[in-house]
Amino acid sequence: MYGWIWRHLPGNAWVKALLSLVLALAVVYVLFQYVFPWAEPLLPFNDVTVDGQ
Amino acid sequence: MAATTEEDEQERPGDPAPGDPAPAPVAPRRGRGRIATAVSVFGELLITAGVILGLFVAYSLWWTNVIADREAKKQGNRVRDHWEAKGPTAFNTKDGIGFLHVPTMSGGEILVTKGTNAKTLNHGVAGYYTKPIKSALPQDKKGNFTLAAHRDGHGAKFHRIDKIDEGDPIVFESRDKWYVYKVFKTLPETSKYNVRVLDPVPKESGAKRAGRYITLTTCTPVFTSNYRYVVWGKLERVEKVDNDRTPPPELD
Repeated sequence: MYGWIWRHLPGNAWVKALLSLVLALAVVYVLFQYVFPWAEPLLPFNDVTVDGQ
Repeated sequence: MAATTEEDEQERPGDPAPGDPAPAPVAPRRGRGRIATAVSVFGELLITAGVILGLFVAYSLWWTNVIADREAKKQGNRVRDHWEAKGPTAFNTKDGIGFLHVPTMSGGEILVTKGTNAKTLNHGVAGYYTKPIKSALPQDKKGNFTLAAHRDGHGAKFHRIDKIDEGDPIVFESRDKWYVYKVFKTLPETSKYNVRVLDPVPKESGAKRAGRYITLTTCTPVFTSNYRYVVWGKLERVEKVDNDRTPPPELD
């Protein structure tokens, strides 16, 4: 999977490494900005109130 | 992988003569390759899942604090600006209503805003309950001022709630009053369905008569939400805020 991505990135090893870094950062950004905020309320770690439900 | 492919290509007979059928694909090698590929993709997916879970922990315990503290600071500054402006809007409940100071729990101040839904509390504030039992406000003649805040992440304002002991002060700062409460009971573990802790007279704390109480709730043990931690205090006195906003001696 990652090998496939590596082979399909253009340029020499340095360019590939740089592009890989950019891709990884983009993935982290999407996770922190969209995926985790969406997933968090679905997980039972952060309910702090008492309620009857 | 790349090396074997090249070798295979070399082993193959030269260009097929025109008219010859195309050589049969090298089936056995491709079959093994497919399994190897599947295993390696599966392994990479597992690694990816592990990294994502690790990132989620970082998100929960660090990044949400960064965001929440930033937001709480912004909202807190807005409240203080309102107070200084001394406009006619004495009590704007849309913004925060004041600040909570609990020296034994945290050095800083905790903005108090209305409501305890996740969106509100994720701003790094303590919210006062509007349901299931409506909170009284500190200036009310009697009732229970009930608050909730995060134990971990999102500012983690009540993270060190377990450091609060009986006799410790809880001070609520409004625009022109310091409300000094004294903790008289802590309940380290109770069910999340135990809404009676929010009663105007919280009997479970040992309180018998109507009075001016304060209740802090959060989740326990840390990093989970299995139970709730409750701290009760009773109003000791109310001080007027002076021009320099000199804090009461409890906060020194």
